[in-house]
Amino acid sequence: MTCSEWTMELVECARQQTTPDRELRVHLSICAHCSERWDREQQLTAHFRAMRMQAALQSRNSQRESLMRDFARIHRRKAVPSWVWALGAAAALLLAVFLGHEAGKRNSKAVSPAVRVHGEPVLYEASLDASALSSDDFIAVPYTPPLAPGEMVRVVHADLYPEALASMGVEVDPAWAGDLPADVVVGEDGLPRAVRIAENAQF
Amino acid sequence: MQPSDEELYRLMRKGNQDAFAQLYERREPALYRFALHMSGSQAVAEEVSHEVFVQLMGPATRFDETRGSLESFLYGIARNLIRVVRRLGPVLEPVDRPIYHDILGELIGNETTAALHRTLREMPERYRDVIVLCDLEERSYEDVARLIGRPVGTVRSRLHRARALLSAKLKRLNALSEVVTR
Repeated sequence: MTCSEWTMELVECARQQTTPDRELRVHLSICAHCSERWDREQQLTAHFRAMRMQAALQSRNSQRESLMRDFARIHRRKAVPSWVWALGAAAALLLAVFLGHEAGKRNSKAVSPAVRVHGEPVLYEASLDASALSSDDFIAVPYTPPLAPGEMVRVVHADLYPEALASMGVEVDPAWAGDLPADVVVGEDGLPRAVRIAENAQF
Repeated sequence: MQPSDEELYRLMRKGNQDAFAQLYERREPALYRFALHMSGSQAVAEEVSHEVFVQLMGPATRFDETRGSLESFLYGIARNLIRVVRRLGPVLEPVDRPIYHDILGELIGNETTAALHRTLREMPERYRDVIVLCDLEERSYEDVARLIGRPVGTVRSRLHRARALLSAKLKRLNALSEVVTR
């Protein structure tokens, strides 16, 4: 074996702090170079041991708690699983549909609140203003814009709730109960202009 | 049977804090010592060992079990961080610690050991890695090969080369101390 090969072996012996085998011991006894290297390798191992001990004795600031806090914070934020977001989106959608429906109902009430329409509307050309309609048993719906000359109006036969009449601004007799068959004059803009309670209405 | 690092990692990614704590307690001390020996600075070692776990729990972690163990992944992060710190230059220790940079060298008291430690810090990274892991952390060649992603033969030859460099330094130091004592 060459010195270089013996060196490989003696380094391992020094690292593992084991006694060299007989052959290596014989070589060390006759080779000053390897013997010197063997001494230094043993010293190196001792110095490394000192470094290890010093590193182990180091007191240091533990950052464990702050890391754990960070972990908890990150995962609290992440802890909202995707199904919760899906559920939230579905709820928002339902709410939007509901609100839209409510808004639609409110708008339709503005034109003809709580009205059940029967048959096809009959079209008339407006030659009278809303107050004139009242002369033909029609009750003018107050606070509505006047009809323009030549504006077509529809007379819609409908069952009206007393509340619907009230919402049109028509005075309602508290004795009225249930639906009232009525003719409603509706302008081109969809707004009711006058209401006539049918003669056969039962109060 | 204890869960593997990889199992703990999987649990940790699902938000299991106990798994994270277990992983931290299992791996952090060695990572700290590794960073301490590699940098010679307590402040750097603390920062690096902390940052390794911050990165591990971050959303950008790209650990892939099929490419290696979690432990070697953690050492990889630590090595990169130390490289960045070394590139930035010497680190000032906090003022409440009256220690500048070579904390081990100063604490060791033994001048030769301190000088060797300084030599170690100035060695090329490929030699420092194997000395720290094989001789200071007492890991097997196989372990170190896995951690640094090199063949066992490479680890062994690097270690022998590194020890030869330190041995030569030790020879000079011994010669110097003989001159002084005469």
